[in-house]
Amino acid sequence: MSIESPRAAAWKKLPLKERYALLTRDLDWEPSYIDREQLYPFTRYEGIKVHDWDGWQDPFRLTVDAYCKYQAEKDRRLYAVLDGFAQGQGHLTLSDASYLNSIKLFIQGVTPLEYAAHRHFAFLARHLEGPGPRFAALCQSIDELRHTQTQIHTISNYNKYYSGFHSWSKMHDRVWYLAIPKSFFDDAMSAGPFEFLIAISFSFEYLLTNLLFVPFMSGASFNGDTPTMSFGFSAQSDESRHMTLGLEAIKFLLEQDEDNVPIIQDWVDKWFWRAYRLSGLVAAMMDYMLPKPVMSWKEAFELYFEDQMLGGLFPDLDFYGIRPPRHVDDAIAEKEHLSHQVYKILHNFSSVAAFTTKTPDHVHLDWLSEQYPGTFDIYYRPTWEKHQRIEAGGGRMFVRGLPQQCQVCQLAISFTEQDDRRKISFRRSEFRGETFHTCSDGCKWIFDREPEKYVQAWLPVHQILKGDCGGPAIPDVLAWYGIQTGDNGEYNGSPDEQFWRAWHDPSLRHGE
Amino acid sequence: MSVKALYDYEFPSMDRAKLFGEDLLVYVHWEGNPIFCSAVCFRVPKTMPFGEFVTSFVVPWAESDPDFDHEAMKHWRIFDELLDVADNKSLADLGIGHKALLTFAG
Repeated sequence: MSIESPRAAAWKKLPLKERYALLTRDLDWEPSYIDREQLYPFTRYEGIKVHDWDGWQDPFRLTVDAYCKYQAEKDRRLYAVLDGFAQGQGHLTLSDASYLNSIKLFIQGVTPLEYAAHRHFAFLARHLEGPGPRFAALCQSIDELRHTQTQIHTISNYNKYYSGFHSWSKMHDRVWYLAIPKSFFDDAMSAGPFEFLIAISFSFEYLLTNLLFVPFMSGASFNGDTPTMSFGFSAQSDESRHMTLGLEAIKFLLEQDEDNVPIIQDWVDKWFWRAYRLSGLVAAMMDYMLPKPVMSWKEAFELYFEDQMLGGLFPDLDFYGIRPPRHVDDAIAEKEHLSHQVYKILHNFSSVAAFTTKTPDHVHLDWLSEQYPGTFDIYYRPTWEKHQRIEAGGGRMFVRGLPQQCQVCQLAISFTEQDDRRKISFRRSEFRGETFHTCSDGCKWIFDREPEKYVQAWLPVHQILKGDCGGPAIPDVLAWYGIQTGDNGEYNGSPDEQFWRAWHDPSLRHGE
Repeated sequence: MSVKALYDYEFPSMDRAKLFGEDLLVYVHWEGNPIFCSAVCFRVPKTMPFGEFVTSFVVPWAESDPDFDHEAMKHWRIFDELLDVADNKSLADLGIGHKALLTFAG
């Protein structure tokens, strides 16, 4: 028999709501020896007006002790799966070694964004004025750090057997195609706290999460990658909390003052297009890099964006005076083209990437023709068949040169005009006597809105030509990128492909 | 509209002409050839004759496509204007400036 102190007994009886209030909001205090403006210097200059920070609703009512308990339990389950997979040589049961190219893209491109999100939500957890949003940002900051760690642990197992997994953190800072996700997040982190909330919590985690993050997890599940899929499950409840934060953030800001509406609209316009351009990499991955595809980019875009967001979310936001994002019609018009155009970039330049690519075979081309019946055979199939002919003759076409990049999204300028899908859409702006090139009306609009910001873009191609990336020749640049022989180039004949075949065909093993 | 900031927001352009000295960045696009995902970007001396620019920069890049035919290059343009090319004129003499976009048909 145990004796409880009267305090502990009273504590247990507290209803959840009160307990939550005591452990979070009631810990806040009013500053007495400095004013609020000094304590929170970043919450005014963006022009957002907040009259009542207590108007922020927390649907989850999480406290630190409950949060840690849930997360520890999820980690235990995830690490049990990771151990089992590693001990049972689970990597041999993947659909194909080429599947791992999508996971290379993930750890190089996405995991460092999780870490960046961890850092910036920690900043918001200090600098937002209300205790409610501060606590939500704190939880998300810890989530993002946990995601970084669990992704590294999940994917590190593949580093023992496959190329391209070894220097992802350095690569994220340096390699050309990783400048696409990096510049996206740097753009958000160098904005004010409210713009960051609309950029990351709303546009990235709510509006486009099913097109940016989830496809990697679905791809894992279809291709036998149990660890990555389990990581996805382990992150799922966090992600739903983040989505709720994104929606709560936009509604809270819109409800606080009518003057906030045009500012938020502007950010929704900008960050929809930024996130959409970033999703081009995911589109390429979905249509070209999965040996067992989940669904086409077009189908995913229609289901998750057109039906769920344009059909479901935006009619609700209309109540606050928010309309669908500017340039959304350009994205819709591009849904039959995006994945093909972006994968073409990767295929042209995987000679200088930390993953490999291959020309789709006939079965794959037939699948693409089926998924894109009105366009694929006209615009894209003939080019892939030309690649097949080149390869049948023993060649492999990589571009000997460096691509022209968009000043805003940093993708190669490879997209085409709506009224002529064979014609590259070049856009340009003049600022302080200098020419700046963009890939689309969306990116040009973003550039023209804040040219002072985007003239500072670290464009990988220009940096190489300045001599700032290890030296003048491609081998110097690859060494500076941290790319080793076998990480890059063509999949067929690569070390990954050869090992995979040997592991699955004992007659190919030497010395046995 | 400009950047909202807590301080004077004034930074130089990352790729301004000055940083490339006597050289230029020039983009070249082979119109209507989808085997190239995009235009290419070169760093070249302003004083280089156009003919030499084509043989030493553009042709090696265009030869990435095994069907490339040097003789078939025609209809040079700078941005949206026709470019009256002459092999012995320098890029600067032809009015090709920093970050100009040249286009040809092949």
